[in-house]
Amino acid sequence: MSIMLNRRHVLLAGAGAVFAPFASAVQAAGYPDKPLQVLIPTGEGGGVDQAARAFNRIWSKYLGANFEYSYFPGASGQVGYEVFVSKREADGYNILFGNIGPEMIMYATQKVKYKYPQDFVYLGSMDVDDSVIWVGSGSKFKTIQDMVEEGKKREITLSTSRLPHPSTIGALALAEATGMKVRMIPYGGGGPARSAAITGEVDGCATFLSSSLGLGDQARFLTVFNETNRAPELTNNAPPVNQALGTKIPQMSGQRAIAIHAKTVEAYPDRVKKLSETFKQVFADPDYKAVAEKAGTPWEFIQYGDAASCQESAKEFVELADRYRPLLSATK
Amino acid sequence: MNLSLSLLSDQFLLNFSYLWLIVIATTIGIIIGAMPGFGSANTIIMLLPFTLAVDVEVAMIFMVSLFVASHMGGGITSILLNIPGNGGSAATCLDGYPMARKGLGQQALVLSFVASTVGGMVTALMSIFLLPYIARLAFYMHSVEMVVILLFGITLIASVASDNMLKGLIAGFLGLLIGAIGADHIYSTPRGTFGFIELYDGVPLIAVLIGVFAISEALIMMESTSVLSDTGRQMMQQSSWKETWEGVVMSFQRTWHMIWTGIIGLIIGIVPGAGASIAAFVAYQQSRLYSKTPEKYGTGIPEGVIAPESANNGCASGDLIPLLVIGVPGGTTAAVMLIVMTYHGVQLGPRLFIQNPGIGYGVFITMLVAYAVMLFTTLPLTRWVSKLVLIPTPVLAPIIIAFTLVGAFAPRGYMFDLWLTLLFGAIGYICRKTGFNVVALLIGVILGPMLEANVMRALRISGNDPWVFFSSPVGNILWAALAFSLAIPSIVQWRRNRAARMVAA
Repeated sequence: MSIMLNRRHVLLAGAGAVFAPFASAVQAAGYPDKPLQVLIPTGEGGGVDQAARAFNRIWSKYLGANFEYSYFPGASGQVGYEVFVSKREADGYNILFGNIGPEMIMYATQKVKYKYPQDFVYLGSMDVDDSVIWVGSGSKFKTIQDMVEEGKKREITLSTSRLPHPSTIGALALAEATGMKVRMIPYGGGGPARSAAITGEVDGCATFLSSSLGLGDQARFLTVFNETNRAPELTNNAPPVNQALGTKIPQMSGQRAIAIHAKTVEAYPDRVKKLSETFKQVFADPDYKAVAEKAGTPWEFIQYGDAASCQESAKEFVELADRYRPLLSATK
Repeated sequence: MNLSLSLLSDQFLLNFSYLWLIVIATTIGIIIGAMPGFGSANTIIMLLPFTLAVDVEVAMIFMVSLFVASHMGGGITSILLNIPGNGGSAATCLDGYPMARKGLGQQALVLSFVASTVGGMVTALMSIFLLPYIARLAFYMHSVEMVVILLFGITLIASVASDNMLKGLIAGFLGLLIGAIGADHIYSTPRGTFGFIELYDGVPLIAVLIGVFAISEALIMMESTSVLSDTGRQMMQQSSWKETWEGVVMSFQRTWHMIWTGIIGLIIGIVPGAGASIAAFVAYQQSRLYSKTPEKYGTGIPEGVIAPESANNGCASGDLIPLLVIGVPGGTTAAVMLIVMTYHGVQLGPRLFIQNPGIGYGVFITMLVAYAVMLFTTLPLTRWVSKLVLIPTPVLAPIIIAFTLVGAFAPRGYMFDLWLTLLFGAIGYICRKTGFNVVALLIGVILGPMLEANVMRALRISGNDPWVFFSSPVGNILWAALAFSLAIPSIVQWRRNRAARMVAA
C-alpha cells in the first residue's frame, strides 16, 4: 500500500491556519461550546489512554472545553479508526487519540475501509516513544549481542502487544541485519505481552519504552531503536541498536497524536486552527510536565510535532510496513 | 515484603475510618454488578475525576470496594431472573434460577452472598500472607497451561447437556463458532464478520448474555403468568427472616466447598487475561465432578450456586495480584486502577511492597472490610429483593427487556448491538423451545475465543509444534487431571452398575 500524497493532502492538516481568516464569523463563534469526544482505538487504561488523559487535563485550560472518552479497541486499532471515520461526525468535536507508528503499520498491512489522508489527518503529535527490546530479570541474556548470538542457533521469541507495531519491525530488521532468527508473539495487549516476558514464557519483549518503565528491576533493557538512548538512567544504559551491532536500522518510534476528519479541515478551518494552536500551547505549560510524568511518560519523550511532521512520519511507517508485509500479515 | 502486624492494624484502622466510603462504593458496585452491560471498569473510569482528586489510599479503598462488590452483585439477577449481570455470574444461573423457581430464591441469594464473602475473604487473607508464593504461580501458568484449564471449562458443555447430549454438543459447537467471529489473534484477519466493523473485535459478550438469557427468558416468561411454580409462589409469599437464616446455615454446612472453589478462582485470576467467567465455569465443573450427586446439578442445589459465586470472588483477589506484584494489570479494571496509582506516583511491582507496603497490603485489607460490610448490607436485603419474582410476568418481562436493552447499548453505544441482542434473543428462544441448551452455547461463546487465543499463541511460540501442549510439567499434570476428571463419571457409573448387579445377584 502506498499513500497518494498530493499537494492538497500534504497541506490539508495545516490548512486551518490559512483559511481561518475567511471562515464565517458564525462558525468561529463559541467553539467549542460542548465537550469534545475523544475516541481511543485501544483499551481503557492503556498507554494512549493515560497519555491522552494527562494531555487533555492541560489542553482543556486552553481549549475551554472538557473531554469525553470512548474506547474502540480491536483488530490492532482498526476498529477505532473505522468507527471514527464512518460513524463520527466531521465537526471538530470528534477527535481520535492514537499512535502514528503502530496504527499506520496496521493501515498498511490490514484490509481497511478508510483511506489516509483522504478520510483523516493527524493534527499534531505529543511525544516520541522509542522501541526497545528487554528481557526478564532471570534471563541469561545480559546484552543484545548475547541475544543475537543465541538467535543464530535457535529462534528467539519476543512478545509484542500486536504484530503491526514499530518494535516488531525493529526486531525483524534486527534479525535481517544480523542473521539471527526471531519470532514475534502478539499478545493482544501491552500488559499480557510484558507479563509473558517477565514470567519467562518468551525470551523477551519488544515494545515501546515508556510502557515498560514501571517494571523496575524485573526488566533488563538490551537495546533501543534510536540513534541515542534518551533515558539511559531508566534503561540500565541500554545501547542504541546501531551503536551496539553496527547495523543501519532506522529509528522505530511511536508518536501519540490526535487525528481529525479530513472533511473537518475543509469545512471548519477556524475550529481546526483553534485545535492546532491550543494543542501547541500545552507544551509550554509547566503543569503539563508534572501530569505527563505522573502518567508515566518521561519528560525527555515529550515533543511537539506539527501536522506536516505527522504526515511525514505516517508516510515512513507505511513504507516500512510495505517492506515487511509478509511477516506482519497473513497475506504472503 | 514488609509485612507486619502493625502495618495490618494500621490498614484496618484506615479502612474503618472510611467505612462510609466503603458502604457507598459497595452499594454502587452491587447495583452495577447486577445490571448487564455495566461493570466495574467503566464505572471506575466515569469516576476518575474523584479518584484522581483524592489521596491514593482513599482512591484505592473506593475502587477496590466497588470492584469486589460488582463481583458479588452479578449473582442477584442470575438467581432471580436467569439473567447474569456479567460473564462471571453466568454459571450461577445453572442452579440459582432453578432454586428461585422452586421458591428458594431467598436462600439462593443468601448462598450467593455468603459464598462470595467467604470466597473473597479467604482468598484475600491468603493473598496477604502468601503473596510471594501466590504471585509465583503466574510464572507457571502460560498459554499451554491455560489451554488445559479452558478445556476443563469447556467439558462442562457435556455436563450441562447431559439430558440431551447431541443437542447440547450442537449448541456448544455453535457457541464455539460464534466465539470464533472477529479478527484472528495473530494477524488480526477478520473472520465471519460479514463486513460489519462492529464484529471485528468479536461478538460482544454482553449482547450474547442479554439476548440468550434475558430476552429469551422474558419471552418464555410471557407464556405464563408467573416465574414461580405454584408451590414456589406459596413459599415466597410466606417467606420471612427464617429463610435468610436457612440460607446462612446451608452456606456454612458447605464451608469447605466455599473455600476450595474460591481458591480455584484465585489461581485462575492470577493469570493475566483470564477472568471471572472462566473461574466460575471451571469451579462449577470441578464442584460437579467431585460431588456424590452430580446428577442433581442444574436442578437447583446449593453447591451449584456456591461454586461459581465463590470462584468469581476469589478471582477478584487474583486479578489484582499481577498488578501489584509485577506491575502488569490482569484485567480491564486493574488497568484503570493502574492509571490512578501511576497518577499518584505509586511505583507498582516488587518495589511497591518495599516503598509502599501499606498500599500493597491495603488492597486486600480493603477487600476484607468491604466483604464484611457487604454481608451486613446485603443479607437483610435478601428478604425483600427475592420478592422480585412475585411480580407478574406481564409486568416483569417488558421491564426486563427495556432495562437489558439499555445495558446492551451502553458499553459501546452501537445501535448494531441492539439488533444483535434481539437476534440472540430469538436464537435463545428457539434453542429453549427446541431443547438446545443455551448454557452450552454460552460456554462456547465465552471460552472459545480464549481457548483459540491460547492455542494459537502456544503453537506460534513453539514454531507450530503440537507437542508443545505436552512440554511443560505443570501442563502435563493438568492434562492428567483433565483425563482423570473425564474418566471419573464413567468409573463411578461402572462401579454403581457393578454394585447393583452384585446386589441383584
